[in-house]
Amino acid sequence: MTTPESLGTPKAEFLANVRQALGRADVPPTQPYPRLTDSLPELEEQAAEIRRRLAENLPALLDQLADMATKGGWNVHRASGAEEAIGQIETIVKDSGTTNIVRSAQPVFDQVSVDAALSNLGAKVTTVAQDDENPRETLREEIRQSGVGITGADYALAETGTLVVLPRKGLSRLVSLVPSVHIALVRAEDVLDTLDDLFLLRRLEYHQQGGEMGSYLNFITGPSRTADIEMTIVEGVHGPKEVHMVILY
Amino acid sequence: MPEIKTQDFFAASAAAIQNPQLRRALDRVASGFEVARLDRVAEATPEVWEDWKQQARDIKVHTIEHLDYYLDLLHTNVTAAGGQLHFAKDATQANEIVAHIARTRNVKVATKSKSMVSEELALNPVLESIGVEVWETDLGEYIIQLAEETPSHLVAPALHKSKEDVAELFSEKLGIPYDEDIYHMAATAREVLRDKFMEADLGISGANFVVAETGSLVIITNEGNGRLSTSAPRIHIGITGMEKVIPSMQDLSIFLRLLPRSATGQRITSYVSMTTGPRRSDDEDGPEEFHLVLVDNGRSRMLADPALREALYCIRCGACLNICPVYARIGGHAYGWVYPGPIGAVVSPMLVGLKQAKELPQASSLCGACREVCPIKIDIPRMLLNLRKKTAESPDESLRSAPKPERALASLYAKLMSSPRLLGMAVGFAKGLQKLERILPFSHLTKDRKWIKKSLVPPLSKWTRSRDLPALPKQTFHDIWKKELSRDDS
Repeated sequence: MTTPESLGTPKAEFLANVRQALGRADVPPTQPYPRLTDSLPELEEQAAEIRRRLAENLPALLDQLADMATKGGWNVHRASGAEEAIGQIETIVKDSGTTNIVRSAQPVFDQVSVDAALSNLGAKVTTVAQDDENPRETLREEIRQSGVGITGADYALAETGTLVVLPRKGLSRLVSLVPSVHIALVRAEDVLDTLDDLFLLRRLEYHQQGGEMGSYLNFITGPSRTADIEMTIVEGVHGPKEVHMVILY
Repeated sequence: MPEIKTQDFFAASAAAIQNPQLRRALDRVASGFEVARLDRVAEATPEVWEDWKQQARDIKVHTIEHLDYYLDLLHTNVTAAGGQLHFAKDATQANEIVAHIARTRNVKVATKSKSMVSEELALNPVLESIGVEVWETDLGEYIIQLAEETPSHLVAPALHKSKEDVAELFSEKLGIPYDEDIYHMAATAREVLRDKFMEADLGISGANFVVAETGSLVIITNEGNGRLSTSAPRIHIGITGMEKVIPSMQDLSIFLRLLPRSATGQRITSYVSMTTGPRRSDDEDGPEEFHLVLVDNGRSRMLADPALREALYCIRCGACLNICPVYARIGGHAYGWVYPGPIGAVVSPMLVGLKQAKELPQASSLCGACREVCPIKIDIPRMLLNLRKKTAESPDESLRSAPKPERALASLYAKLMSSPRLLGMAVGFAKGLQKLERILPFSHLTKDRKWIKKSLVPPLSKWTRSRDLPALPKQTFHDIWKKELSRDDS
């Protein structure tokens, strides 16, 4: 971290100008803002309520996730166990015609061990782990040379068919972004109903971790797209062209 | 700031309306985005949609009314996350901040994801002047940068370019064979820019929202260039207007429902990225430095005017452009500055000064479609009328948008309409004139004598150049009232 520099207009002066425009003195909001002022126990209670609701509706939520993810541009695969998931991933890799694969080092891969199966196909699987022998630049080049990136999920949202990814050790931001094909492995326990569920749970974690948000929160819904030339939709402009969601339940 | 051409609005719009290629492009955008938006509203149900709009508006009203408080909270939390927040009172200061960071960190190459505020600041030439190579990476922005033009739509910056234009541009600037296949052109941009992302020291992004509670920056994109710009380079600078702050992370869900649906008709975009501070020590990658530059640049003028304050609620979805009958015919460039369309006609005069942009509030038929589609329920027609009032009533002659004879006519009309006696006399006089027209050979009445097709008397002749003028009936409403209707009461 670098030492903060004072650039531009000092905060006090800038805020004084804003107050002058608002025509009032320095007064904080008089009404409490419920989504800011709720206490940790209140957040915990709401989170418990969400968890109860999710557990009750899981089968319906999995169906909704599959439906909305398909509408959002994902190729959805449902697997009833690790074996089936591995088989589906093998097929996707085979169809991609690539042999360079990069995957994140998330716990889900202890449960679904894809490496051996993919090696049997003759593919080379690189795992993201930055260390002295594998510095950032090398890792980045490995990712760039890969045709398929495989990641787990932190959450998946049934409302929008969205994969949610948070920074984790062993998870590069680029694995789900740079290769042309992205495969995401979603477990039933990752599935949430709505955007509201997600942001409430994230707020709870934020406060539980003493105000640490993590450096990013990424939503991925379908392939990379553009319609900037004559409104024609082109997939895979900067990110992946083909995305697969394997739902494991 | 970029060159301001708002003073030429009337001339520029007259020219743009004659451009058939532009009209075709505008039709494509209007039918594409607006039809998809309507589908999403129907899917959500109009009642739910209305409820979402109200929730979003309530958040914006609250935040803007307490902007000082939330900016302070944001500052605290950006700093707590290891980032740096810089306040810029104007474009010059904002550009200096970014240039200073680039210079002191020895930045050679910068990649940018789409940012309307950086267009407002004209940041690229400033960075180029200190030797930084700047690459726009949103496909539309990249096309515009190669063509040395400005965006013509908030969401689809290069909509005015045909695929042939782009193919020619790529062929000329990139030295590749002419190929008008859209998929090939997108692939070319991917290849060129991929190298730049990996090479870049600095990634510059805008922000759709900044969250005060956590100090986070949120960008909503489809291409993935935003994620690359904020992940690959060693420094990330976010630049946005000070009005983009929202209080809580939980406020995001409502905006994430409204913004993509209103902008492109998508339920959600391919990517939503929320960044908080630089990479942490155990992250595998990400920028080592995170800076947020918050820009005033005239926004406090909007804030200070209660009649125009709600323009600061805008989330730049572009829905008002896609529905506007004026925008649909003249496109974005005619508006003469960065922000086009109905919201631009309010924002630009406030940011560049009403004197230079006094014609822009006239760029509306006041049909109210913009107000209807706005996801934040911003009353744009009301603000346009307010600006018109300001130009009409200003003692400063240079602020007046109408020429003197037009004003004289308008005040005569006002006198006439507020006096029944004078109005009666005028109607009688006009009827006399109309009789004269009927017997004269130069009469241009329609067969049923209800419309005047072509008047020979200025300024009415100006009106009938593009539409018919209703002729006065034999009996006016006043006549009927006097003779018959008023009798029923007695």
